[in-house]
Amino acid sequence: MSRLFSLSPENRPIAIASAFTVVIILIGTGYTLATQGTVPMLTPSYLLQQLQIGSFLGLCAAGMMMVILLGHIDLSLPWTLTAAAMMATTVGGAWAIPAGLGVGLAVGVVNGLGVSYLRIPSMIFTLGVDSVLRGLMIAHTGGFAPQTEASPLMRYLAADRVLGLPVAVFVWAAVSVAISIILTRTGFGKSIYATGAKESAAYLSGIRTRRVIIGAFVASSLCAASAGILLAGYSAKAYQGMGAPFLLPAIAAVVLGGTHILGGRGRYLGTLVGVVLIVFLNSVLSIMQMPEALRQIVYGVVIVGMLLVYGREGRTRL
Amino acid sequence: MTDPTELIRLQKVSRYFGGITALKDVDFSCSAGTVHGILGENGAGKSTLIKILSGVLSPSEGQVVVDGKPVRYRSPTEAAADGIVCIFQELSLIPDLSVAENIFIDQPPRRFGLIDAAAQRRMAESVLARIKCEDVDPDARVRDLSLSRRQMVEIAKAISKNPRVLILDEATSALTSRDVQTVYDLLAELTADKVASLFISHRMQEVDALCDRLSVFRNGRHIQSFNKGDLRESEIVRLMIGRDIEAQYPHKPAPNTGQNTGQNTASTEALRVCDLRWESALKGVDLTIRRGEILGLGGLDGQGQKELLLALFGVLKGVRGRVELNGAPFVPASPAMCKSAAMALVPEDRKTEGLMLSLSIADNLLLPNYRAVSRGALIDPTLAAREIESAIAKLQIKTASADASVETLSGGNQQKVVIAKWLALNPEVILLNDPTRGIDVGTKQEIYTLIRDLASSGKAILLYSTDYAELIGCCDRVSVLYDGQVVSELHGRELTEEALVAAALNLQTEEAAC
Repeated sequence: MSRLFSLSPENRPIAIASAFTVVIILIGTGYTLATQGTVPMLTPSYLLQQLQIGSFLGLCAAGMMMVILLGHIDLSLPWTLTAAAMMATTVGGAWAIPAGLGVGLAVGVVNGLGVSYLRIPSMIFTLGVDSVLRGLMIAHTGGFAPQTEASPLMRYLAADRVLGLPVAVFVWAAVSVAISIILTRTGFGKSIYATGAKESAAYLSGIRTRRVIIGAFVASSLCAASAGILLAGYSAKAYQGMGAPFLLPAIAAVVLGGTHILGGRGRYLGTLVGVVLIVFLNSVLSIMQMPEALRQIVYGVVIVGMLLVYGREGRTRL
Repeated sequence: MTDPTELIRLQKVSRYFGGITALKDVDFSCSAGTVHGILGENGAGKSTLIKILSGVLSPSEGQVVVDGKPVRYRSPTEAAADGIVCIFQELSLIPDLSVAENIFIDQPPRRFGLIDAAAQRRMAESVLARIKCEDVDPDARVRDLSLSRRQMVEIAKAISKNPRVLILDEATSALTSRDVQTVYDLLAELTADKVASLFISHRMQEVDALCDRLSVFRNGRHIQSFNKGDLRESEIVRLMIGRDIEAQYPHKPAPNTGQNTGQNTASTEALRVCDLRWESALKGVDLTIRRGEILGLGGLDGQGQKELLLALFGVLKGVRGRVELNGAPFVPASPAMCKSAAMALVPEDRKTEGLMLSLSIADNLLLPNYRAVSRGALIDPTLAAREIESAIAKLQIKTASADASVETLSGGNQQKVVIAKWLALNPEVILLNDPTRGIDVGTKQEIYTLIRDLASSGKAILLYSTDYAELIGCCDRVSVLYDGQVVSELHGRELTEEALVAAALNLQTEEAAC
């Protein structure tokens, strides 16, 4: 235990979240053993299924982390995801995926410009963009579920398996590797940390902080768009509100993984652990057949409770 | 043993932060009606001492005795209730509130349970008048005030609590000479009213002029207390740093006689500024900096010196006028652009403008310079490590590890990091805004030597300082600003404290004019 408290501020939440994930799995396993006498949670097929589900959330959280590291937030995630999915299925064929990513790129640039040049707080600006996207999509589909379908490539990437593993997991892994290299090994990544830690100091160090902000928002929207494309491929079509269940869990995963909500601190490994934690938490709650209302309460209490545990670092009152 | 005038006594007080000892077995007392100077280098434990006195920190061991009774304050408010008030080195004002709101933030005057804004304003006015700051509007937002005005508001805030023990932690380091005099007068007045003042400053002359009794701290220990005049300055310095210190400022080279170099002055010019204007702060600044030279910026605080440095570094919008860099026209449009043009700025406030405090020393050092340590798109860890190692060695930054957060460094070492991150880029023109503010004597001297070495290697340096002695000691020439213009330029033997003061006040005396 004393070892745990000597960990650096970046690593302590990761260690706690990992430990808690194990606890969740043990509780779930204990429950199924007691009620059914089986251990479905420890079977490979169950774990792969969780990874498959986790890949959508993982992509969302990866992008969200870039923006949170800046001390900003991207609340346009739900409809960026949905719009990318809808445009991908509308265009269809070979151009389905580029169309979806194009939506992400465009939204990211708009968000980045609004936050960096117009200096509108990201919480408001991205919320506005989310609403605009929603309006545009309702106009586009006429308010009904679109009749269009996902292209074969989208279905392959989302639902097929290679070497027994879901292809979506490979997509998630590739994005994860790319983001962790960007964050730790490139000037852009280091500039994100610096801008998030103290924007004025980064600016006076000759960092083009506006470009950094735009870059991070583009990364966030591209990740949301990829999640949308995959999710449409997984369900074979796009639908209204497909992005809504991802916003809060994505933010929660990033913060539970130890990324400071005000920016400047956090490791990508933490975000991965945060995603796994949330996926298992959801899954165990549903295995235990907890009523929806109670599930939401437990979910919220766990997130707030864990943040309380992280917060106990300060030794002075100042 | 018990001295009736004694207000505060510390008995065997120690304070630990994790494994680090900030204070060890400190016995210390101060009495009513005295000004007690606390001396010591950064990291000597002075700040911890006053945080314990003022209730911000509790001692790990030992006891604090006030009026003969042991106390254990849990917050600065509890200490203030006993009349112990501190003016902190890091300003404690809220930028978006008005001056009056800040002064009475913890106990605003109330009427029917609501804050009485009119009374608050009146009371603020009278407190500000007491410290001769009538020019500060109680309704002004603190954000809009210069650093020295903010510091005066901080002092007003402390005075408004009618302290019995007033602690000033580097409270004068950001002030102009005129305000410093005001603070002196105020302290004299308070001392006559039987207030005990604890005065912490790195400026030896101030401590000498003000204090009746002095205590020296080193490495968390109370080394010695003595009355003023008991020890000579050199002996005090030796107590503080534990070693002798020679001349404080490095030697200046012989002044460049403009006679025989008339032809190549243009080629030695690094930066020429003509008729630079910005809003109401800069009203046509002209100056020239040559390679190998340290040009000082003098004058009272707030005459446009800071704006000039910011304008030259591309931070301000809507700057008019002409800037020539190495003889070619140059428009500083952003810090990034100035960085590419081999310029560097060490900004005014190292904690918010110079450093990302939560990041590591390594990340801070490399920030302006990632291109140099990257191969292709990726940072090369070997190159980066080499760069960091050489920066730390070159400036003798005292740290156990480059991965420690820069927050853990003392003020002097933090400032070294700010300077080091720019030196890696090998800048030709270096702009320095009060680089030694709040830094201990030893580190100051290292920084002076470094600046002089940089100049000797052909860099052009523009140095703004609020400390006249520093300008005189460091600079080859000093341009004095008054109301957004250069009113005079002093060099060689004209560069004296009297001439600087006269020029700063824009007095057209014969001596100063020639």
